[in-house]
Amino acid sequence: MHGSPDRSRLWIRVFAAPIVLAVATITGLLAALLWGTVGQYVAWVTVGAPVLVISWVWVRRRTQKPEHFDRVMRGK
Amino acid sequence: MKARTVRLWSVVHTWTSLISTVFLLLLCLTGLPLIFHHEIDELLGYAPQPEAHAGAARATTQAVADAALAADPGHVLQYISWDKDEPGIVTAFTNSAVDGLPDNTTVRAFDAVSTKLLGPVGVGPMLIVLKLHTDMFAGQPGKLFLGGMGLLFAVAIISGVVLYWPFTRRLRFATIRDSTSRRVRWLDWHNLIGVVTVAWALVVGLTGVVNTWAELMLNQWKATELASMVVAYAGKPPPTRLASLDDVVVRARQTAPGMEVAFVAFPGTPFTSSHHFAAFMRGDTALTARLLKPVLLDGETGEVADSRALPLYLQALLISQPLHFGDYGGMPLKVIWAALDGLTIVVIGSGLYLWLARRRKRAPAKADTFARRAPVLS
Repeated sequence: MHGSPDRSRLWIRVFAAPIVLAVATITGLLAALLWGTVGQYVAWVTVGAPVLVISWVWVRRRTQKPEHFDRVMRGK
Repeated sequence: MKARTVRLWSVVHTWTSLISTVFLLLLCLTGLPLIFHHEIDELLGYAPQPEAHAGAARATTQAVADAALAADPGHVLQYISWDKDEPGIVTAFTNSAVDGLPDNTTVRAFDAVSTKLLGPVGVGPMLIVLKLHTDMFAGQPGKLFLGGMGLLFAVAIISGVVLYWPFTRRLRFATIRDSTSRRVRWLDWHNLIGVVTVAWALVVGLTGVVNTWAELMLNQWKATELASMVVAYAGKPPPTRLASLDDVVVRARQTAPGMEVAFVAFPGTPFTSSHHFAAFMRGDTALTARLLKPVLLDGETGEVADSRALPLYLQALLISQPLHFGDYGGMPLKVIWAALDGLTIVVIGSGLYLWLARRRKRAPAKADTFARRAPVLS
């Protein structure tokens, strides 16, 4: 579908984290509906995961020097 | 992905987003306080509070109905409901006619023990916010319009996911480029927040769309399932004398063991036939409390006429409601819901900013091209 194995690996690398977060979110949304109190605890963690990721990125940007982010860019 | 394909998806993403932007912002902004509407109503004094009655027996349903009619002379009862989270309160809906307009319905709370009138329900500033959120004060057309905007939102999300690949494949996940322009920085934030909240936004968006179809679904159920449930009563006039509500509640409970009555719809209201009470029963788990089961009872005798599970499309509607409201996982889930709503506002706002910034960037280039082509006056 995506041509070479390198391209497939790149595709997985790009979408791995979003897919994990999406699965976690869906799991949490259903857990609170299906598993009672335990499901609620699961939902707090998994549905809250995207908020934690954004908070983590925001805090990381505030606490680290800008040069660090240049280095993570590929091809530079 | 070919450049032409990217351009095509980009056009889809841009225009589905732009067309729905104002309405999505309205939905997100009004949705934010609605997540906490119970708490806000309590804070502002619009949430009726039950009286303290340690261990006292609850009043009969008929007594509550009598109190509701006495509180609203000349009107009729449409519904009586019991909130599982507010056991000390019974809510009564009265109107000038059983099929009166929803906007003319008066909703009042009564004490479950003393039947004392505790006050109106669903009034105050949150009612305005709710109306803006559900139909923008435009009734059913407004609902369907917002549903259409919700569908555009879903297309914008899906096209955004497709575009995430060409825009971020050279970057590590969660990279926000710091050393470049403000536009690039906001593009990175837009992509990151959009992609991490994609599942939540799709679920909330699409369940919102399903909710806008509630009346259509209810009408479909009435025309098909309900009609077949009451076929034996075809041609019977509306009851001239209603059965005792206490009998109705007891028989409904006997018909659906292990379930409690969520609400009783009076004959002629949109939730039942012209001749029957409909007692909508709920279970006691988070899921079964949502999946209501109707029990139809003869309006005059109170005898059970039929009881069937709701069809799949109505069950989907009932399950979609908590998934849209986020009110089924305690206060922490509400706070997370609000945070995700806030992040969605950032995605929408940044998308608009990116579009405007790109237009501004293009405008001088176009002007330069024009200047180069224009004849020079001397």
